[in-house]
Amino acid sequence: MARIGILGVAHLHVDAYIENLRAAGADVVGVHDRDPERGQRWAADNGLTHFRTAGELLSQGIDGVVVCAETAYHRELVEQAAAAGAAVLCEKPLGVSHEDSDAIVNACERAGVSLMTAFPVRFSPAVRQIRDMVAAGDLGALRAFSGTNQSVMPIHERSWFVDPALAGGGAMMDHIVHLADIFTWMVGAAPTEVYAVGNRIVHAEMVTVETAGLVMLTYPNGVFASIDCSWDRPFNYPSWGGIALSVVADGGTVDVDPLNQQLTRFGGSPAYGWIPWGLDTNQFMIDEFLAAIDERRQPSVTGRDGLIATKIALAAMESAATGAPVTLAD
Amino acid sequence: MSPGPRVGIIGTGFMGTTHAAAWHAIGATPSAFLDRQGADDALPRQYGAEVFTELDAFLGAVDVVDICAPTHLHADLALAAAAAGKPTLCEKPLSLDVAEGMRVIDAFDRASVPLQVAHLLRFSPEYRAVRDAVVNGEIGRPAVLRLSRLSFAPDRGADSWFADESRSGGLFFDLMIHDLDYARWVAGDVVSVYARSVGGAKDHGIAILKHASGAITHVEASWANPAPVFRTLLEVAGSRGMITFSSDNTSPLTLRLHKKAEDVTTGLGDVALAANPFEVELQHFLDVVAGARQPVLTALDGLAAVQLADAARRSARTGQPVSISPLGGGA
Repeated sequence: MARIGILGVAHLHVDAYIENLRAAGADVVGVHDRDPERGQRWAADNGLTHFRTAGELLSQGIDGVVVCAETAYHRELVEQAAAAGAAVLCEKPLGVSHEDSDAIVNACERAGVSLMTAFPVRFSPAVRQIRDMVAAGDLGALRAFSGTNQSVMPIHERSWFVDPALAGGGAMMDHIVHLADIFTWMVGAAPTEVYAVGNRIVHAEMVTVETAGLVMLTYPNGVFASIDCSWDRPFNYPSWGGIALSVVADGGTVDVDPLNQQLTRFGGSPAYGWIPWGLDTNQFMIDEFLAAIDERRQPSVTGRDGLIATKIALAAMESAATGAPVTLAD
Repeated sequence: MSPGPRVGIIGTGFMGTTHAAAWHAIGATPSAFLDRQGADDALPRQYGAEVFTELDAFLGAVDVVDICAPTHLHADLALAAAAAGKPTLCEKPLSLDVAEGMRVIDAFDRASVPLQVAHLLRFSPEYRAVRDAVVNGEIGRPAVLRLSRLSFAPDRGADSWFADESRSGGLFFDLMIHDLDYARWVAGDVVSVYARSVGGAKDHGIAILKHASGAITHVEASWANPAPVFRTLLEVAGSRGMITFSSDNTSPLTLRLHKKAEDVTTGLGDVALAANPFEVELQHFLDVVAGARQPVLTALDGLAAVQLADAARRSARTGQPVSISPLGGGA
């Protein structure tokens, strides 16, 4: 079974990934975090060894790493992992800048290790069904998408998400990439232009980054796609937020709400809540990462996919700042 | 009780029929119709109303005018009504361009009679309830609005005025304009518009608005669905909370009948299952005409909606955001 190391525990998804890795039978060798206190606490909570440096962990004969550090530290960790010959699963977005994101992809390609971007929405059965219908032509020509990836501002779980130096931005860096990736996957090509507006009205007193954004992507064949990436759910919202998309095609329209499989609970504390019962898409993503290591192949979601989505998010930030659409280079 | 004003409706099509029923319901049964083609007098006969084929004779026989004619005729008919000194309710959009709409507004100003543009959402109970909650501060300062109006393509024939964008204005002027006006009502003046559309009969468009307040709005309008789909969705997120509405799960009535659905030409929603917004709209107009109420929307608000629809259409054509310059005035 693959020997896996965890590089960084800053991203809240790491709490799910450790369960997923163990469920898949992976041998999780240990964890490194740049904050030794945080790293040791997390290691103890999960019955793992904490390594003081990434190098010490990578010298344990590691087949793959899961990078869940703050986005600004992705690059140095991925470069070390690639140099050590480990396959990489990297949290989204890849980097806080074009340079860092390019460097992450290039380091893995040069070292000949596979790089997967953590896009679990790709593994949602509902999303896959629509993508299969699109690919088979069952919906006719694609015309437009709209999507929402709105949430509570993730400040209580991990406060670095609202630190522009560590996250590269606010709601736009956090919540554009998933839908940008899904739309690009369905169209089969990267967008050519990005327009965006944003503001900081929700939680204006708490943070310096944007807390809301609306984005429009234009694809080469004229297909357009909007994304709402806002952190505009109140702190007492019944869940972290959600992700949903609509497709307009010549054959009709489709709504996809992958998280709609949930119960409604009344009473208790708080007095209203949702209980999800759908499949665990994180598990499918981790399974694919491990299978790609095992079969010595590229994973179905690549670093290049993550690079395109990250560049869309960075272009959206630029467009929101200038007020003009931003053309994406090839 | 003194008799109410004599109501005259211009147009006997879909909207003329809908308005006639609402006038009748509020006790102001139309007394005259203008049908310049004189094609079919079934609707006037239903209300015992007189049918005119000449505009001047029609205007001489009524106290208030309700323009339900095809969009490209709105401005000229309104100008004639203003010249005759008749308070006028005009179906949306007020006009197909801003300059033409401004001429209409000037004419009503000079005549000192009210002009109300029929922006129905200002009178629709769910939309009013949301706006009231926002005005009452229940969700703090509006930050992000999402407004969707998702329908099938109205079928009024390939040769009809409606199928001709130069006469109907197309998706942005005919359908999206409802939510463009509503966005302004809730979040204030708009400073820029960016839009994309599919084009064609099954058009689908998305516009992104920036308001002077800093709020941002996502407006989606669609004729890309199969009949009889007609859905409306709304969300307003503010600094202290959010409000959502969906016509999908708020209808008090769900029919699942074995017989084939009735053919429909235009989506209207569940207007008869709550306070009927057409009736509220017409009563408001009468109250304004009687001097009993301040208008919920001014004629300039109607023109501002035209300006936004025009900006969205231009943005969709050019691919560039369009800046909105203040019209001055308005409510």
